[in-house]
Amino acid sequence: MNFISHYTRFFWQKILPVLLCLTGLVTSNVYASDFHILVVLSNSSTPYQAFAHTFRKELPESIKTTLIPRVELYSGDDLQADLVVTVGVNATEVVLAKTSLPVLAAMIPSNTYEELVAKRPKSRQNSAIYLDQPWARQAALLHAVLPEHSRIGVLHSPDSRLPVQTLRSALSAQGFTMVDQPLHDQNSLFTDLEQVLTSSNALLAVPDNMIYSSSNIRNILLSSYRRSIPLIGLSYGYVRAGALCAVFSTPDHIGKQASTMSASFAQTRKLPEPQFPAYFTVAVNPEVARTLNTSIKSAEEILSQLEKLQGGTQ
Amino acid sequence: MNKYHSVKASVFFCIVFNSAYAADYANEMDYFQEFPVVLSASRLSQPLSEAPNAMTVIDRKMIVASGARTIAELFRLVPGMYVSYYKGSQPFIAYHGSTDQYARRMQVMVDGRSIYMPPASTVDWASLPITVSDIERIEVIRGPAAASHGANSTQGVISIKTRDAGMTAGKSISFTRGEKGINDTTAHFGRRGDKLDYRMTLTYSADNGFDNLTTPPNGMPITQRKAVDLLNNSNDNNRMQLANFRADYHPNSVDRFDIQGGFNHDIQTVGWSDKNPNPAQPRNTNANPPHDQFTNSGFMQFEWIRILEDNAELSLRYYHIRQDQHEAFPIYLGGMYLPGPATQSVKSGRDEIELQHTVPFSVTNRLVYGAAWRQDKINARGYAQAFALIRMPTSYSYSSSTDEYRLFAHDEWRITPNLLLNAGGMWERDSFGNKNTSPRVALNFHLTPQHTLRTGVSVAYRTPAIGETRLYPLQIGALFVPGSIVSSPGLTPERLLSREIGYLGEFPDLSTSVDLRLFSDQVSNGIYASTIQPLINGMSAYYQGMEATLKHEFNEKSELTLNLTHELANCDIAALKKAGLTTTTPASPWIADVLSGSIPRNNASLLYTQRLSHDISFSSAFYYQDSLQPYDRGSLDYQPIQRRMDVRIAKGLNFGGGINGEMALVVQNLLNKKSTEYVAQNVYNRRSFATLSLNW
Repeated sequence: MNFISHYTRFFWQKILPVLLCLTGLVTSNVYASDFHILVVLSNSSTPYQAFAHTFRKELPESIKTTLIPRVELYSGDDLQADLVVTVGVNATEVVLAKTSLPVLAAMIPSNTYEELVAKRPKSRQNSAIYLDQPWARQAALLHAVLPEHSRIGVLHSPDSRLPVQTLRSALSAQGFTMVDQPLHDQNSLFTDLEQVLTSSNALLAVPDNMIYSSSNIRNILLSSYRRSIPLIGLSYGYVRAGALCAVFSTPDHIGKQASTMSASFAQTRKLPEPQFPAYFTVAVNPEVARTLNTSIKSAEEILSQLEKLQGGTQ
Repeated sequence: MNKYHSVKASVFFCIVFNSAYAADYANEMDYFQEFPVVLSASRLSQPLSEAPNAMTVIDRKMIVASGARTIAELFRLVPGMYVSYYKGSQPFIAYHGSTDQYARRMQVMVDGRSIYMPPASTVDWASLPITVSDIERIEVIRGPAAASHGANSTQGVISIKTRDAGMTAGKSISFTRGEKGINDTTAHFGRRGDKLDYRMTLTYSADNGFDNLTTPPNGMPITQRKAVDLLNNSNDNNRMQLANFRADYHPNSVDRFDIQGGFNHDIQTVGWSDKNPNPAQPRNTNANPPHDQFTNSGFMQFEWIRILEDNAELSLRYYHIRQDQHEAFPIYLGGMYLPGPATQSVKSGRDEIELQHTVPFSVTNRLVYGAAWRQDKINARGYAQAFALIRMPTSYSYSSSTDEYRLFAHDEWRITPNLLLNAGGMWERDSFGNKNTSPRVALNFHLTPQHTLRTGVSVAYRTPAIGETRLYPLQIGALFVPGSIVSSPGLTPERLLSREIGYLGEFPDLSTSVDLRLFSDQVSNGIYASTIQPLINGMSAYYQGMEATLKHEFNEKSELTLNLTHELANCDIAALKKAGLTTTTPASPWIADVLSGSIPRNNASLLYTQRLSHDISFSSAFYYQDSLQPYDRGSLDYQPIQRRMDVRIAKGLNFGGGINGEMALVVQNLLNKKSTEYVAQNVYNRRSFATLSLNW
C-alpha cells in the first residue's frame, strides 16, 4: 500500500482546549472512580473493533467500560452505566429506543443521526461524532486538487437526502460550480452519470449506496476515466479502487475523539453539540492523477492545507 | 421499500460486514465498504507527456465526430499517416508514406491481439470482427516501439481498444443508408451485473466501393483501350456480416477475466477489368478478372488479470485468430476461356500466450516484464488447369507453422520529479533463425508541469513476411499463395534506427495543447526488388520530418484538433540500380528518387466539433495530402493533391419511456474534389449517408 500515503495529525485548534482542560482534570483526579461507560457496537467487524480498541486505549484508566460487541446482545439493561457510546447506525437506533441514559453516537452519518434523535424525547441527552466530513472540508479538498472554476458533478438519489443547498454553497465558497444531478430512477444510473459527466470537470462521491455500491463502482470509475474526469471519493477504499483522492476519518480517529468527549462528560455530565470528525486524513492515488494529467500535491501537503483552513466542526 | 437491504458489500481481506441493516437510514457502509481495484496499472494509460514515444489518441468523441464509417478512415486523423486503398474494401495504412498494398511495417493490435496476418503480414481491415462502434479509443505510437510491442513495430504501433463489456447496457440498433449502396445495420446489447458484464454486437454492412473515373487520371493521354478498362471500377463491392462479444467476469476484488470472441463473414469483389478481353484487345489475358473473394475470420481471447499486493499486477493472455479466404475465377487466355475455374485458398492462424508482470517498486519506479510465445500457421493452396499449358504444376501449395518467442522488459523511472527515464528492450527468436534485440531509451523532462521535452532512441527489426521469402512465380487471383520453394533465400530482418525530439505543451489559459516532434529514422538492411533474386537485403533509406498536433477548445461547446506533417525521404536505390543490383526505377522522369516521391511532403488533418444546442451537434473534418507517386505503382497511379472535407450533423432524439436515439447525416468529400487513391481507379466522389440509431 505504499503508493498511497496516509498522514494523520492532531487537530489542534479544536482539540487543544479540551485536552488542556482534561489534563487539569486528570491531575486534580476529580473523576468519580465509578464512572462507567457502556460501549455498544453495531457488530463485531473490523471497523467497530478498531473503534473500541482506540476508544478504550485513549480513555483515562479510572473510567470503567463495558463492551457489548454486537447490538443484538444489548437487552436494554444499562448495567448502571453513566453513558452509552453507540458505534454505527444499528447500535444507535436500538440503544436510543431502549435507554434513558445519555447517548454518544459515534461513526454515524449526520443526516441519519438527526433523524434518529428527532424520535427521542427532548429531555434526554445525546450527542454524536459523525462519520461524514463537513462539506466545507470536502470543498477545501477540491480546492487543493482542482483548478478554480471547475464544475463539480454531484450525482445523488432521493433516498440519500443530500443537503443540496448546503453543498452548493460550500462549493461556491471555494469558487466551484455544482452540477446537481438527481438520479431519476434505479435504472437510469448510467444515463444520469453520463449526463453529469458531460458537464463536469470532476465527480464528487456522496454517501449514497444506491449509487456508490461495490457493484456500480467499476462502471462509475470506468465511465469517468473514459472522459478523463476524476472521482473524488469518500474513503481509502475509493482511492484504492481508482478515485483521485479522498478526505476521511478512520475508526481510530473517531475512537480517539469519542474518548475525549466521554472523558469530558465524566467530568461535566454534559454532552457537547454533535461534532464532525476532528481527526482526519487524506489519501491520494498518484497513478490516477498522472494518467488524468492532473498535477496533485502529496497527501501530506493537502492534509496540512486542510488543517490550516478550518476547524473540526461546521 | 428498503433499498438499502440490497446493498452487497464487496469483501476484501479481513473486513467482513455481517449484519443486515435494520433501518433505511444512510449508514457507515458508505465509508467502510471495500471496492475492487478498477483503475489498475493495465487500465491506466501513460499520459502523453510521460510516454516514451510520440502518441496520437483517437477517442470515442473524435471517432463519432469524424463521421467515419470504416475503421481505416480514422487513421487520417494521425499525423504522418498514409491511408489509401487498393480496392474498395482493401485499405492499407502506412506511416512514412506509401508502400505496396500490404503495408507491413506496423504492429496493429486489437485489445492486445496482434492482427497482422501471414503470409503477407498485413491487416485485412474488411474482415475484422469489430465495427467502428465497438471501438472505445485508438492509440497510435508514431515511431518504433518494438521494445514494448514486439515484432513488426518498426514504423509504429496501432492499438485499438474496444469498449469495455460494462460500457454497453441495454439495447441499441442503428441503420445507415446512403449513396453507393451504403447499407449498414448494427445492433448492440449488453448487461452489467455484480460479477459479470457482457456485451454483444451484430452487424451487417455493405457498400459498392469507389466511384468510377469519368476522365483519364491525371489528365494523361491514354489510349482508348486503356481508358475503357480504367474507367470501369464497378467491381469493388463489399458485403460483411459480423458478430462479436466481450464479457468481463470479476468474481472478487482482485481477479478479472476478460473473455472475447468474434466472427466475420465477408464477401468482396476483387480483381480488375484492365486486362479483360475487350473489343480493342480480344486476345487479352486475364488471370485476375473481377470475382468474389470469400473470407471467414474469427478469434477467441481470454485474459486473466490479477491485482497483487502493492498495486502490482499479473496478466495472462491467450488468443487464437483464424482467417480463411478463398476465391474461384476463370482464366482467359489467347482469346478463349480455359476449362474450369482456377481456385485458391489461404488459411492462416495464430495462437499466442503472453504473461506479463507489472511491479511498482516505488512511487518513482515501475517495471513491466514478461514473456510470450506465438505460433503462426499457414496453409495455402491453388489449382489452375491453365498452368498445364505452360508446363507448370496445376496444383501448388504451401503450408508452414512457425514459432516465435520473446522476452521483454520495460522500466519507467522518475529520477527526479521532473525527469522520467523510460528504458526497455525486447529479445525475440523465431523458427526462421532470426534473433533480434530491440532496445529503447527515452528521457522526458518536464520543464514545468505544463511543458515537457522528450528525446528518445530506439532500434527495431522487421522480420520478412513469408510472402517476401516465398514468391510463387505465377501469382494469379487476388489471394497471395506463397511458393513451396524459397525464392529469396537468406532474407534477414530490416533494421530501423529511430531518433526523435518531442515537445508537449499545455497552455491552460489559452485552452490549447501542442505536441511537436522532430524525427530521423534510418532503415538499414532494407528489402528491395533485385536482379539477383526477387528480393534482397541492402537498401538504405532515411526519413526526416516534423509533426505537430494542436488542440484548442474555443469554449465548452466547440473544439478543434489540427495535425500537420512535413516529411522528406530518400534512399540509395539509384546507386543500387547503377551497380546493376535492381531494376527499380522511379515511375516518372521528374522524380529522382523512388522513395522520396512516394511520400506526401505535407500532410494535414483537422477536426472541428461544435455543439449547436443541447441535442444538435455539428462536426467537420478536413484532410489535405500532398501529391505523391505510390512507391510500387506506375505513373498512371500518380496521386495528385487530395483535399477532402467531411461534415456530420446530428440531432438527439428522445421518445420518452426510456427510448432515445440520434439521427445523423454525414456528407463525405463535401466539396467534391476529385482525387484518386493508391490505384487511380479508386475515386471517391461526394457521398452522403444517414444514420438513425435507437437506444433503450
